Amino acid sequence: QETISLTVASSHPTVIPWVGMIKTHFMARTDEILAEGGNYQIEWNEAFGGTLYKANATLDSVEQGITDVGWVFSMLEPAKLPMSQASSYAPFTTADASLQLDVMEELFETNEAFRNEWEQYNLKVLGFTGTDSYDVYTKEPITGFADLDGMKLSAPGVLGNWLRGTGANAVDGSLTSFYTDIQTGVSDGVLSLALGVLPAKIYEVAPHVTNVDMGVAFSGAVAINRDSWDGLPEEVQTAMIEAGKYYTESHGKDLNERHQAALDKMVEAGAGQATPVEITPMSEADREAWANAMPNIAKEWADGLEGQGAPARDFMKAYIDGVRERGGAPVRAWDDEL
Amino acid sequence: MTPLEIGYTAIAGLIVLIYLGMPIGIAMLGVSFFGVSMIRNDSVALRMLGAAGNDSLREYLYAVVPLFVLMGLLVTVSNVGKDTFDVFQKLLRRVTAGLGIATVFANAVFASITGISIASATVFSRVAVPEMTRHGYTKKFATGVVAGSSVLGMMIPPSLLMIVYAVLAEQSVGRMFLAGVGPGLLLAVVFSVTILLLALRRKDFVYERTTDMATFEDFPVSRLIVKSVPILALMLVVLGGLYGGFLNPTEAGAAGAAGALVIALMRRALPKRTLWNLMVETGQITVSVLFLILAATFFSRMLALSGVPRELASVLVDGSIGPYGFLLIYLALIVALGCLIDSISIMLIVLPIALPVAEAAGFDLIWFGVLTVVAVEMGLLTPPFGLSVYTIKSAIDDGTLSVGDIFRGAFPFVLAMVVAMAILIAFPAISIWLARL
Amino acid sequence: MTHPDSNPNGADGHHSLPSRIWGGVVNTLAALGTALIAGLMLIICADIVARNGMGASLPLVSELGALLLVMIVCLQFAATVRADRLARAGLFIDPLRINRPRVSAGLETVFSLGGAVLIGMMARATLDVMITDFSRGEFIGTPGLGTLPTWPFRLFILVGLTVAALEFLVRALRNIRAAAGQTEVTR
Ligand code: NA
Ligand code: NA
Repeated sequence: QETISLTVASSHPTVIPWVGMIKTHFMARTDEILAEGGNYQIEWNEAFGGTLYKANATLDSVEQGITDVGWVFSMLEPAKLPMSQASSYAPFTTADASLQLDVMEELFETNEAFRNEWEQYNLKVLGFTGTDSYDVYTKEPITGFADLDGMKLSAPGVLGNWLRGTGANAVDGSLTSFYTDIQTGVSDGVLSLALGVLPAKIYEVAPHVTNVDMGVAFSGAVAINRDSWDGLPEEVQTAMIEAGKYYTESHGKDLNERHQAALDKMVEAGAGQATPVEITPMSEADREAWANAMPNIAKEWADGLEGQGAPARDFMKAYIDGVRERGGAPVRAWDDEL
Repeated sequence: MTPLEIGYTAIAGLIVLIYLGMPIGIAMLGVSFFGVSMIRNDSVALRMLGAAGNDSLREYLYAVVPLFVLMGLLVTVSNVGKDTFDVFQKLLRRVTAGLGIATVFANAVFASITGISIASATVFSRVAVPEMTRHGYTKKFATGVVAGSSVLGMMIPPSLLMIVYAVLAEQSVGRMFLAGVGPGLLLAVVFSVTILLLALRRKDFVYERTTDMATFEDFPVSRLIVKSVPILALMLVVLGGLYGGFLNPTEAGAAGAAGALVIALMRRALPKRTLWNLMVETGQITVSVLFLILAATFFSRMLALSGVPRELASVLVDGSIGPYGFLLIYLALIVALGCLIDSISIMLIVLPIALPVAEAAGFDLIWFGVLTVVAVEMGLLTPPFGLSVYTIKSAIDDGTLSVGDIFRGAFPFVLAMVVAMAILIAFPAISIWLARL
Repeated sequence: MTHPDSNPNGADGHHSLPSRIWGGVVNTLAALGTALIAGLMLIICADIVARNGMGASLPLVSELGALLLVMIVCLQFAATVRADRLARAGLFIDPLRINRPRVSAGLETVFSLGGAVLIGMMARATLDVMITDFSRGEFIGTPGLGTLPTWPFRLFILVGLTVAALEFLVRALRNIRAAAGQTEVTR
C-alpha cells in the first residue's frame, strides 16, 4: 500500500458547514473508496481556518500549489472568475441550494467558457459550493417592500446591488461587524443568510426576520492544484472525482436542511428576548415588487462581460433555464431582458 | 527530513537567529522560506513570500494600527497624556509610591482612547519616566511600571488584540471590548498592590534615593478639570462612537486620530517640524509592528504546512489532561511563545489549534479570549523579545538604560499578571458579566 | 527622534553625492507613505460623515483602506530599516558590539545581507503579482457599484520593497567596511 501526502486547506474554519464537509464528506469518502481498493492511502495535512492563506487568496493558493486541495471562494474573485458571479446578479431565481448546485455542476460539464474560466488557473474542480437563501433581518418590524425605502441595511459587496431601486441604503460591513453595527445604529438591519445570522447571534439585535427568500448564490468550488492532480495515480483520481460529486450533493441537501433548522433555532433561542424573534414571510406581491423595482443587474453584468469578450449572456440564460428545467420558478425573468 | 522535523528545525533556527540579534521579522521570513522550500519547493516558497508581502496585511481592521499610533503620538505632543498623568499625580500625591500608582491609573484611563500597548508605552515613557526619576525612583522601576501598565492599553477597550481574537474566534468585536473592562480594572488594582508591596519591601528596587527633595508641580482644582477635558472628549469620540452607534473599530481609530489632531492644533502643539517628525515616527512604528505581523503570517503558514500545530493539537486533545489541564498548558505555551514573538503572531499561530479544543472543553469563548489576551500580553514584558520594553527603550533613547534593566523592572508586573490570571480563571464573571449583559 | 545620517564620525563617503541621492529616494518614499496615512484618516472620516450624515457608505472604502495599508508599510519600509527601527533582541549583539566591535559588524553584515536577499525575493514575487493583476484586470470593489484596478497599488508595493532591499544592501556594505576596520562600528 502506497501513502500519498496531500495538504488540504481553506480560508475559513471547519465550523463553516461546507468547509467542515470537506473533511467529513470529501476527504472521508475519498479515504473510504481508497480503502476498498487497498492500494493507496492519503495522509492529509489539514490547514483549515486560514492558517495557510486568507480569504483574499483562495484561488491563487490552489493555482500556485501553496495547498494541494482547497476551497476556492469565487464570490471574492470577481475579476478572475467573472462568469461564476452570474447567480449573484440574478436574485429571486431559486432558493433551493440543491437545485442550484445541480445546475452549476451540469453547466461546468456543458459550458466550455465556464469550465475554462476555472481550468485556466492550473486546477481541477472536484466539487461545488453555494450559500443558503438570503433574507432580511431588522431591528424594527417591516410590513412590506415599501418599508425598505430610506432604511440603512448592512449589505456588503455585491449584495449592495440587490438593494438598488428599493430606496434602502447599503451599509458596508462583515458578519463579525453586523451585530455591533445594528446594535449601535450604524445600520437598521442586515440582508444576510440564516446560516450566518445564527452563529453571529444577529437575531438578538435584529429579531424581526422577513422571509424574503431572495435566493441562493453560487459561492465557489473545492479544487485541486493541476500539478498535484497530474501526479496522482488514476485510482486516486477516480476516487476523488466520485468523492467530489458526493460532496456537492451532500452539501446541497445539507444547506437546505440547515437553512430551515437555523431559522427554527433562532425562534427557539430568541423566544426569551425582550423582543422575541419573529419570522414573517414576505408576500409574493412584495417579492415581485422588489424584483421589478431593481434595475436589470443581470443585463448590466452580462453587458460588461460581453464587452470583454466573455459569452456571459448565453451563460446567464443557461443558468436560469437550468433552474426552470428543474422546476424552479424565478420571480423575474432576467433572461428575457438581456 | 519529514515536514514535522523541518518545522521543528525552523523553530529552533528562529530562536537562535533572534537570540543573535537578527531583526525578528527578517529571521521569521528566512526560516519560513527555508521551511517551505524544504517541505514543498523553491517556487512555492517564493510565491508564499510574495503573498505574505502583498496580502497578509490586506485587512481593513489593520488600518487601526497607524491610526491608533498617530492618535497616541498626537496626544503625546499635545500633552494629553501628561495632563492625565498630572491629574492622577495630584490625586495620589500622599500615597506611598504614588507616582507609580498614578502611572498605572493614568494608563488605565489613557487605554480607553488607544488600542495598542506601544502607544501607551511611548506616551508614558516620555511623561512618567522623567517625572519619576526626578523624584528619586530608579529608572529600572520607572520604566518597569510604564512597561507593566502599558498592557492595559490592549486590555481596556478599544484593543487591537481583542479585535484580532474576535475575528479568529468569530465573536463580536463589541462584546470582546466589553469583556476587557473588568479584567483591565482588575489588572490596574493588582499592579497598584504590586507597587505598594515593592515600595514597602524592596526599597532599593524602587528608589534611587529615599528622600524626595524634588518639588511637585502644583495647580488648583480648576486646572485639574481643564486638564481632564481633552481626554474625556477623546473618550467620548472613541468609546462614545463605538457604543453610541456611529463607528466601527477602524473608524474609531480614524475619528480618534482626527480628534487628537484638533486638540493638538488648538493647543498650538504642532509646529510644522513637529508634525512632520510625528508623521515619520508614526510611519516607522507602524512598519515595525505590521512588518512583524507580515513575517509572522508567513511563519505560521510554514508551520501549518509542516503539520507541527496539528501534532501539538493531537497531543493536547488526546492526552488525559482534562479541560483545565489543557487550559494551563495552553496559557503556559502562550507565555513561552511570548518570550520570542509578538502578540498578534502568537494568536495567529496558536488560536486556530486551540479554539476547537476550547470549544470542545465547553469554555466560554469570551472568557477564553480574555485569558488569551492576558497571557499574550505577558509576552510584551518578557525577554528576549518584549515589544513594550523595546518601545520604551526607543522612546527614551537613553544610553545609560539597558533593555535588560527595563526587563528586570517589568518582571514584578509579569508576576502580578500571573496572579491576575489566576483570579480571572477562578472568577469567570469578571470577564463575562459585562459582555453578556 | 533619531537621525541615523547625522553621524559625526561618518567621515568617509557617508555624505558623498550618491549616498545623499539615495537618502533622498528613501525619504521621498517615506514621505509619500506618511502622506498616505493622513489620506487614510481623511478617507475613513469622510466615510463616517457620509454614512452618518447621508445614510450611505462611500464605495470601496474598506477594500481601498486595506490595500493602502499594505502600500503604506512597503513605502516606509526602507526608511524604517535605515533608522534601524525593526524589532530585534539586543541580548547577544549589544554587549558584542562593545567588546568585539568588528565581530558584531560582521554579524550585522550577515543579517543585512539576509534582509536584502529575502526582501529582494519578496520584491521579485511582487513583480509576478503585479504582472498577473495587470494582465487579468484584477480589481477591488463590486462591478456595478464602483471598482479600482489593483496593479497601480502593486507597483508602489514593488517599488517600496525594492528600495528596502537595496537599503539592506547599503547597510551590509557599511558593515563590511566596519568589519574590515575601515570605519567605526555603529548600529
Ligand atoms: Na485600549
Ligand atoms: Na516577550
